[in-house]
Amino acid sequence: MKHTELPHVVRALRDPLHAFVHESRARIAILVSRSGQVLAQHGFTSTYEVMNVASLAAAAHASSNMLADLTHAGHWKHLFHDGAERKMFLATLVTPLEPFVLVVIFDRQSSLGLVQLFFDRLSKTVARLPELQRGVERTDLASFEKDLQAGLERIFPVDAREEV
Amino acid sequence: MSDVYRDAIERLSHVPGVRGALIVDMGAGVPVTAEVETGISPDALAALAAALYERTARASDAAGFGALSTFHLEAEGGHVVMAGAGDLVLIALVDDDAQLGRVRLETQRAAETLQ
Repeated sequence: MKHTELPHVVRALRDPLHAFVHESRARIAILVSRSGQVLAQHGFTSTYEVMNVASLAAAAHASSNMLADLTHAGHWKHLFHDGAERKMFLATLVTPLEPFVLVVIFDRQSSLGLVQLFFDRLSKTVARLPELQRGVERTDLASFEKDLQAGLERIFPVDAREEV
Repeated sequence: MSDVYRDAIERLSHVPGVRGALIVDMGAGVPVTAEVETGISPDALAALAAALYERTARASDAAGFGALSTFHLEAEGGHVVMAGAGDLVLIALVDDDAQLGRVRLETQRAAETLQ
């Protein structure tokens, strides 16, 4: 994704992600590109947390895809971790621009079924966004940090950030 | 599919006016087994119905009425009757002209077999 496209994409994703969180009753949700760009988030208060989760989500996505290849599973529909108090759902959001990774943390106010249901709706909404209809551009590893920082600056304006 | 689950679904499906039935894992909001008409998404139905049942059970408890046994939703085109069975909830989709008393009774009985 080009740096010039990022502000438009971030703006376009804000409302659909908030609707998803509201409807699914999730606690935390973060949408990142495969290279770790933060595109939208809900529930985080610290830049540090967002940065870590974005990096780990991108890594988990990449490693799970590799695992799918190794086991000839094709590709995973989603990953689900069932914790005692909180649960995590990680899935790929396919868009015309590029695939994004959605990480959702939820508790017993929600359920896997609800998250799946509204994830499917979010996928359809996002796939139709005009801001995401441009051509595909690959992001190399060298630009990872730059992209990540650019995404964080969009999500957390400088004056709203905490010291980390 | 476990015989217990299949038997409960079959029992309910044979009640006149019942046009579909499913057993849902309430915590996960996903179907354990389902027999519904084409065009009805069991996944969506399971997720939403389980959330509704779970919330209503909490409201019943908060109101001092104790545990919820059955839940009946009346809509323009039919009814949804739900009965809890531990971590599971049994859901019947019912025609609007069905004998609801019988449906509720059979739903409760079928749910008891799941306990």
